[in-house]
Amino acid sequence: MKASPVFKSRSLPWLLLVPTLGILLVFLYFPVIQSFVLSLYRSNLFLGTQRFIGLENFRNIFSGTLAPGFRQVLLQTLLFSGVVVVSGLAVSLALALLANQPVRGARAYRLLLIWPFALSPAVAGTIFLFMFNPEVGFVNQLLNVLLGVKPRWLDTPALAFSIVCMAAVWKNLGYNIVFYLAALQNVPAELGEAAQIDGATGAQRFFAVTFPLLSPMTFFLFFTNLAYAFFDTFGLIDIVTAGGPVGAPPFDHAGVTSTMIYKIYQDGFGGAANLGFAAAESVVLLALVAGVTVLQFRFGGRRVYYGGA
Amino acid sequence: MKRLCFILACIALLSTVYAQTKIDFWYAFSDANRSGWIQERMDEFNAQLSAAGKPYMIVGERKGSYPETQQAAVLAARQGNPPHLVQLYEVGSQIAVDSGIFMPVIELGDFDTSDYIAPVLNYYTIGGKVNSIPFNSSSPIVYANKSLMDAAGVTAVPTTYNELLAACDAAAAAGVLTADVKCFGVSLNGWFVEQWVAEQGATLVNNDNGRSGRATEVLLTSDAVRNVFNWFKTLNDKGYYTYTGKLEDWDGSDAIFTNGKVLFHITSTADLVNITRAVGTSFELVTGMLPIVDGTERNGVVIGGASIWLVRDHPVEELTVARDFVLYMTNAENMVSWHKATGYYPVRNSSVDLLRAEGWFTEFPNASTAFDQLLGTIPSTATGGALMGTFQATRTIVEEALQKVLAGASVDAALAEAKKLADAALAEYNANF
Repeated sequence: MKASPVFKSRSLPWLLLVPTLGILLVFLYFPVIQSFVLSLYRSNLFLGTQRFIGLENFRNIFSGTLAPGFRQVLLQTLLFSGVVVVSGLAVSLALALLANQPVRGARAYRLLLIWPFALSPAVAGTIFLFMFNPEVGFVNQLLNVLLGVKPRWLDTPALAFSIVCMAAVWKNLGYNIVFYLAALQNVPAELGEAAQIDGATGAQRFFAVTFPLLSPMTFFLFFTNLAYAFFDTFGLIDIVTAGGPVGAPPFDHAGVTSTMIYKIYQDGFGGAANLGFAAAESVVLLALVAGVTVLQFRFGGRRVYYGGA
Repeated sequence: MKRLCFILACIALLSTVYAQTKIDFWYAFSDANRSGWIQERMDEFNAQLSAAGKPYMIVGERKGSYPETQQAAVLAARQGNPPHLVQLYEVGSQIAVDSGIFMPVIELGDFDTSDYIAPVLNYYTIGGKVNSIPFNSSSPIVYANKSLMDAAGVTAVPTTYNELLAACDAAAAAGVLTADVKCFGVSLNGWFVEQWVAEQGATLVNNDNGRSGRATEVLLTSDAVRNVFNWFKTLNDKGYYTYTGKLEDWDGSDAIFTNGKVLFHITSTADLVNITRAVGTSFELVTGMLPIVDGTERNGVVIGGASIWLVRDHPVEELTVARDFVLYMTNAENMVSWHKATGYYPVRNSSVDLLRAEGWFTEFPNASTAFDQLLGTIPSTATGGALMGTFQATRTIVEEALQKVLAGASVDAALAEAKKLADAALAEYNANF
């Protein structure tokens, strides 16, 4: 039998875990179980009714009148998350590298780069909404003078989707930059110098030395950004586009900037107040996020270099 | 001994402070103008209560938008801690009745309904019962930029669909319309579609607009709705229409109008004061009645806005104080002041008399437009307004259908799809009973 090197008593570690488990139980496991149960009921938020209907909500998700809208939003969610995570990480890594240069006033640059993260989604959303108002917004006023064009940012599907992606990336830049800056300052300078002596170019040094050393941070940020794209962009979307505009076929069953979390809110707490259906959708979303996480740990996790042997 | 007396006096004083029962009032306004007005009325009424030695105090709380306020109130009631008074929008009426958490105001002692303007009282009468206390009522009117109209040689605010199209044609011919100035800038909002359906004397849902029985079908493929959609399509195809691109973007469309980027705008009469202030002296603002479909009778408008509902689960004494507060807030003088501060209808006949007596409508003719439009409304199931449990969802579905049409989809296909979705949502709601 192996003696525990830290804890003398067997019960002490469990005792210390109690607060964490308690919080997880109350705020995570219990709501998840409730969603599962609710997804089997016909339930209206306003009426407070609950009637067991088995898997009918799930049937409605995958076939019938509501199915095309769900499929479209599912696809959009994957696209949106992909764009936000990949371009968000790429841009913030680039900016972090620049901010990490030993130049005069580097601290001021860093501060300014982190700034957007301190804005609430409501404020950030309102800024974008007014900037891109097609008739009186700052962007179109400028474009009209310079180029004589006034793009309809908020109801041209492709433009609206890009604006929301851009706003979502911008809003989370500060967060990513902070973590990348911290990671960059932990990259040993002598490795870069050694590569330089061996004749590596700047790009080679970055891709062969710096980037692999940053992989634990990239791996971590990938998940926090994925969670951000899936769940935390709600406020921004609500304010900038309210999930709209409806696209051209085949994207004409829902607003093109509606993501799963936005649709779940709309279905459960919006006009239809169909809680059971929304719960069923959230179960599907949970399965999706769980699936992505498993895939990432299985395939992505191998490439992460944590140092050591 | 002196000290003991002092302490006892303090305790007595504190206990009277703490003995005050709070009467919670949840409302939806977030702008300083309107919520400030409500706060003033609460302060006045609380002063009256304490002067009369009554241990109650009205406490107001802003709860976000109309849908959010309704949501918060219903959830609070389910958790056993509801407010006494809630401001609910007209669209939420069916849900409010179905939720069972509200007490029809008519069931609380005597409630004098004689002074209310008929269309307002009719809207809030459901199943023969007056459910809530009328407060902020409105309907849409045309806001027009007189300076641009003059430049286009348009002399009168259009009163029909074709007149508005003709005015736009004239503006285009006169070179008033440019890359920067469009003709018409109403926000893309289901509320206006509902109003235009009522103007044509048509109902939005079956069973007499849901008033003779629970609605089971949303009549989105009717000629009335098609007329509205076709008109938007024509305006849009000719390049006359603009909006921000976001659904129900009231503020965005107001900004387009007040910045002089469109000749005509349609929005609630409730925004009259805010828009008049925003326009200032930059151009002359005139108003007109909602344009109607050519060749149809002007049936009038449906009451929009909100009313105050009483939550059932409270002692009768508290509810009585709560009701008395609302009656104070909406008494004849206060409704005059509310109307002047915002543009909402004064919902009492006595308030209208006061306004007429002081010559308000001649002094500020823009305020009389909405009012004449309301008084000219022909009472019917159409103008009485629709009742359905999924009104807000239907509104969104209609807006998305119109947005599709603006993007080039056919009117018939968009409406057929919208009807399917709206009917499915309604059937799902009705299946709860």
